[in-house]
Amino acid sequence: MNTRKWVIAGVLSALSILLGVTGLGFVPVPTAVGNATILQIPAIIGALLEGPIVGAIIGTIFGVTSFLHATLPMFKDPLVSILPRIWIGVGAYYVYKGIRPLNHYVAIGVAGCVGSVINTVLVLGVIYLRHYLSLGACITAAVVNGVPEAIVSIIITLAVVSAWLRLDPLRRKSRI
Amino acid sequence: MARPLELSASVALGQFIPGHSLLHRMDPRAKLTVFTLWVVLSVVAWTIAQQAVLFIIFLFLLALGRLPFRFAFSTLRPALPALIVVVLLQLLFLGDSTGLASPVLLHVGFISIRLATVQLVIVSLLRVLSLMVLISTLTLTTSASDLTRGLEGVLRPLRPLRVPVSEIALVCTIALRFTPVFAQEAEQLMKAQAARGADFGEARPWQIIRRTKSVLPVIVPLFLLALGRAENLALAMEARGYVPGARRTSFKTLAWGMRDTGACIVGLLLFFAVLLIRDAQPASAAIAFLF
Repeated sequence: MNTRKWVIAGVLSALSILLGVTGLGFVPVPTAVGNATILQIPAIIGALLEGPIVGAIIGTIFGVTSFLHATLPMFKDPLVSILPRIWIGVGAYYVYKGIRPLNHYVAIGVAGCVGSVINTVLVLGVIYLRHYLSLGACITAAVVNGVPEAIVSIIITLAVVSAWLRLDPLRRKSRI
Repeated sequence: MARPLELSASVALGQFIPGHSLLHRMDPRAKLTVFTLWVVLSVVAWTIAQQAVLFIIFLFLLALGRLPFRFAFSTLRPALPALIVVVLLQLLFLGDSTGLASPVLLHVGFISIRLATVQLVIVSLLRVLSLMVLISTLTLTTSASDLTRGLEGVLRPLRPLRVPVSEIALVCTIALRFTPVFAQEAEQLMKAQAARGADFGEARPWQIIRRTKSVLPVIVPLFLLALGRAENLALAMEARGYVPGARRTSFKTLAWGMRDTGACIVGLLLFFAVLLIRDAQPASAAIAFLF
């Protein structure tokens, strides 16, 4: 890993912490908890730009912050708040790598979706396995919270990554 | 305006309260070691007795650090409504899903509250409270730079396994250093976009895509600014001779003293003592077996 990768991991982790502690990372759409989280997005973007290890590092730091700041019983448990978050970036990266030769934009969007779904499914899965909530409650939360989060995640990942890589999804001409 | 435009105030990472208590003077490596040990203990402890003992130990620690109690529970009040909802969800619907045969305490319609469920709820509530105290004790008595230095020290034994220890510490340092910087930048962005007429949260709640679009004018430039800063920082570090994995010295070195060894021994002894506490409830033994 070169200096750049480490620095990007640090900087995106800072964003993840910022989005978490200021409430900027909660998009107010109607879900069970009243908002959709976009805290998984720095991990996804880090993974797409710099590879799975960077994604895993950002995910871990996101998990640790979420553990430290948690006030709900299930998230005050490292198995729920840290362990699942490591895999967000890893999964997103391999999906991106697989689809990229076909279509770059679709690859970015699907990776954004997969990263978010990994977060939802693994977190709620561990919550169920650790007996914090019943299976029904977990599935309800996965649908009610997970679907809007995946949509939000696709939009933001696509917007940020295509802007950073200077891709133009609509092939517009310069407006100047 | 749906949201306040002041962000810097809410970035309370500088929670550290300078002081001279025993906990303040301890080596961050010792603090982190004992901290990790006890977080693990709190996670594996599935009986009310164990959690209660842990809670008392952590409160004692808080007192040892001469810290005001209100700091430790400051995050609790805003979270109370959500906490109550979760507890009710657990009590009413966890029902038989724990897979444990334990006596039914209350049975109304399709809802049955079992003894094991009540026990689980109490254990998880106690865990939240005690970890809140433990985490506050650590972050209130240790500065962020000491924490990352301590982390580097604690992870050092992993170096022969080719774990990039000092790079991990670097990532943490950058993350902690840049959070307030980005808070300021986000604030500026929000003000600039608001001045240009951006609407933050005027779309209807069910319009997910429109609501997401309303955060884009802040989130996208924020990410791009951050990535741009990362490029500059990486360049600047390389220009100053930073090589990942190279051996570096530190301006401030940590000193391990007798009290740190003592703290680790006491921490370890308490760890096993709490682990050995047995509860009278047979159900708890079964739950403990699952994990």
